[in-house]
Amino acid sequence: MPDPANGEAVESSKRRRLLGLLGGGAAVSLAGCSDQEPSDGDDGSDGSDGEDGMDGEDGEDGEDGGDEPERTNADKAQAAWERATSNPLPEDEDLRQEAYIEMEEALRDDAGLIPLYHGLTERFWYDYVDVPLSGALGAHWQQYNTTTVEGDTDLNLVNSTFDELDPIMSTDTASSAVITQIYENLTAFPNGVPEIENQLMSEYEVSEDGTTWTFTLRDDVQFHDGTEMTAQDVKYSWRRTVESENSERASFTTNQPVGLGIDVETDDDGNVVSDSLAVEVIDDYTIEIQLSGPNPDVLDVIAYSSFAVIPEGYVGDIDGYDGEVSHQEFSTEVANGTGPFELGEFNVDEDVTVVRNDDYYGEVADVEEVNWEIIEDTQAAWTYALEQNADIFAVPTFAYEQDAIDAETDDRGREVGTYGPEGELNEEVNYLGVSEISTFYFGFNVSNTQRAVRQAIAYVMNKEQIVQDVFAGRGTPAYSFLPPAIWPTGNDGYNTFLDEYPYSLGESDLQGAQSVLQEADITSDDPVDLTLTTYESEVFQTAGELIRDLISGTGINMSLETAQFSTLQSRGEDGDLEMYSLGWIWSWPAVPYGMFQLEPLNTDTSTMPSETNGFYLDWQTQLEEEAE
Amino acid sequence: MSRWEYFAKRLLLTIPVLFSVLTFLFIMLRAGPIDPVAARLGPQAGAADREAIRERLGLNDPLWEQYVDFITDFLTFNFGQSWVVQAERDILDIAVSAAPATLWLGAWAILLPLFIGIPLGFYAGLNPNTLGDYTASLGGIVWQALPNFWLSVMALALLRRTREGGELLGINWYTLGPDFAARDISITGTPRLEWFSTTDVLMLPVPYISDWTALAIDIKLILPPALILGSASMAAELRIGRTAMLETVNSKFVETAKAKGLSNRVIVWKHIFRNALIPLLPVITSEAFLLIGGSVIVEQIFNINGLGRIFFQSLTQGDLPMAGALLFIFTVIILGLNILQDFLYTVIDPRVGYDQ
Repeated sequence: MPDPANGEAVESSKRRRLLGLLGGGAAVSLAGCSDQEPSDGDDGSDGSDGEDGMDGEDGEDGEDGGDEPERTNADKAQAAWERATSNPLPEDEDLRQEAYIEMEEALRDDAGLIPLYHGLTERFWYDYVDVPLSGALGAHWQQYNTTTVEGDTDLNLVNSTFDELDPIMSTDTASSAVITQIYENLTAFPNGVPEIENQLMSEYEVSEDGTTWTFTLRDDVQFHDGTEMTAQDVKYSWRRTVESENSERASFTTNQPVGLGIDVETDDDGNVVSDSLAVEVIDDYTIEIQLSGPNPDVLDVIAYSSFAVIPEGYVGDIDGYDGEVSHQEFSTEVANGTGPFELGEFNVDEDVTVVRNDDYYGEVADVEEVNWEIIEDTQAAWTYALEQNADIFAVPTFAYEQDAIDAETDDRGREVGTYGPEGELNEEVNYLGVSEISTFYFGFNVSNTQRAVRQAIAYVMNKEQIVQDVFAGRGTPAYSFLPPAIWPTGNDGYNTFLDEYPYSLGESDLQGAQSVLQEADITSDDPVDLTLTTYESEVFQTAGELIRDLISGTGINMSLETAQFSTLQSRGEDGDLEMYSLGWIWSWPAVPYGMFQLEPLNTDTSTMPSETNGFYLDWQTQLEEEAE
Repeated sequence: MSRWEYFAKRLLLTIPVLFSVLTFLFIMLRAGPIDPVAARLGPQAGAADREAIRERLGLNDPLWEQYVDFITDFLTFNFGQSWVVQAERDILDIAVSAAPATLWLGAWAILLPLFIGIPLGFYAGLNPNTLGDYTASLGGIVWQALPNFWLSVMALALLRRTREGGELLGINWYTLGPDFAARDISITGTPRLEWFSTTDVLMLPVPYISDWTALAIDIKLILPPALILGSASMAAELRIGRTAMLETVNSKFVETAKAKGLSNRVIVWKHIFRNALIPLLPVITSEAFLLIGGSVIVEQIFNINGLGRIFFQSLTQGDLPMAGALLFIFTVIILGLNILQDFLYTVIDPRVGYDQ
């Protein structure tokens, strides 16, 4: 008992320091971070409560609001979310960042969700290839017009199976790796580095209220068939995202905050009224959109592949167009975009070829062709790579040796260096390791689990060891839901968050677990049951076994079960889970595109999936305050 | 009952079998645990997107309507479109484009055991309890015991090591025969099967081999997987061939033949061989399902875009119509082979009939 108490005292003083660092609006510190008030003398003596701060009878409430009831972590998260979403203008950036970090802290303190790892992408390429380093969003954002292959005119790659080249149907990285070469968006994340740049757009303007955005397009862009790209094409392409029955990401166009939130009319059945999307063509190179509310992430969202521009009337799957090609042809046989490569040949499940677009407005590609051999099996893919039939490749885990990496961290947190020679790979190849913008986690339905139990799990979970055991070290242990690559206050802010991480960092803290359990009167004589439901994933199953073994004897009887992914989802929506495993992968590197699922009111499983779409936490049950 | 009545009866019996398979498929696919909407959209999709897809896939129709649609569509080979694996493409198109590779693989996987397993088995049966018999029998059992999955992985690992330095028995598989290294061809992958053309003979298109190198490449590409795929049946043929041979050798008519003073050669080829083939017939035809089941793994590891790999993908990705359609096609093939087997039996063995 004294141990955690001391730990908490240290911990909370660090948190105060963080607040000082962050500075920011005074109002924010007052509203959100009341438990870190320096005058809060109770913190030390009330150690076990320190993490959740507001749970005890430590009277600090009086200091920051007076008439408020006890403020739970859920309240804090809800208030922070509302503050962030009600201040969407660019000048409020700092305020939003702090609000998101507050949500992250509230989540950590309540242990409603325990992050396990962030995906790690590793890329290997032979020395005769010169390819720009890809970033945290993934190599499928990379256009190969700046890649060179010494002594060859073709770039050869490996891809997974996919079956659609229609940007509005693409939801996987395999298709988007090819689509990126052929089609382009108004903005882009070049090489998958999470920094937005203009692509087909030359400039933009936003109205003062943040709801009207005006984009000016480049005037020197041609489609592969030679016709010029104009604002009409953009409007048509974006209309397809909501009106076409083939669209699988309509919500990214019309929803907020998970998407752009362009105004649109719907009829009584909820179907989109034809041509009602608030996209207006001002002139040939100017287009204006009207949003239902201000959105700070517009430029990020329009870089997503469903917003790619295709020639007006190319496919007739929306009202008013007959289409030059059928949709089935458009999916796999023909393509007409503005990108640095044109579609050559696509043999579904066998290979794809794109050929150089010599009239590209930007840097014309050096290689004449890019070929992807489609291989699902790791043995086949590894054989293909060793034969040097693939120029850029992945090393499967069975052939992977971490010690063969010789790399240094660059200023974007990527590991850059060399790999090998190792095993069957007879030569040294280039190496790149990038922590992805994805988070895989254990979630809890908080109404079915006690906080002490959740915290105890967080204490015993040694994420380093799990990543090492299961992936041979090919993952980044996660301590926050937001991946470090998009941490609102940057690398330093993330390190501060790590410094004050209350649970175990790189170890398994059984004592900490026992203390919180004792505090809640959970002992091995009076145990509680906890069921962990994982989807079919070796990682989570192994992690679950490890945790179960570690936690046994402390008063938590943990049992493991496995469910199909879709079963897990529907059970989550029914609120029928205790502890479960899931993951989230960011489609664009915006903090709210992820955080919206942690808004306590949005985690209400009783109204899922129609009204709420958050994580299956039922965090709203912990709300004490009246929501605004 | 005459032999042909028996055959007709077998033919009619396939109809209820087909229906029960279809019903079983329907129940498995519609009532099973896989939610195609989730499989298709992934975890990021919103509720509205999911509802839209659900409606589009017809999952909101009453169950009996889905059942009637399902049966009529399948019986007319109108399988509709794939949901997940190759979304929106016609399943029949997909199957037709993937079938040649599987047929090519299957043909070699049947031929190789036939020409290796049966002669070895007959040899062992003619020379029982010799060193040669023991070697062949033991080898057959071990070969059969090795799982295809393991064999495929090992074969790939061994063959790719022959590329630089690590030569296997002095053989570099890449340069043996058609040179793969010089052509930048992988030892994995789908055979192109573009080595034949057709020419018109008396207004009828007749295929002929136009590109012998391409043929050689395709054969070399398919040999390792075919040998592995056929491994189980090769061993089975060997052992049954040996037993059949032994039984026939010791039967009385052989003794009679010997007493007549027939030469050994005539006895073996004219009398023993033909009679020993009868028990082998069902073994050979039933190889078809082994091949269909086995090709799933072999095609996956050797990256051959065939029916097996597509079946595997559709199962793991929850592509209900595709998995159902392929199962149906497999069922039809197996039923067809059973009928063929019965037909051959009625022709070969006059004793066959329903009543004993």
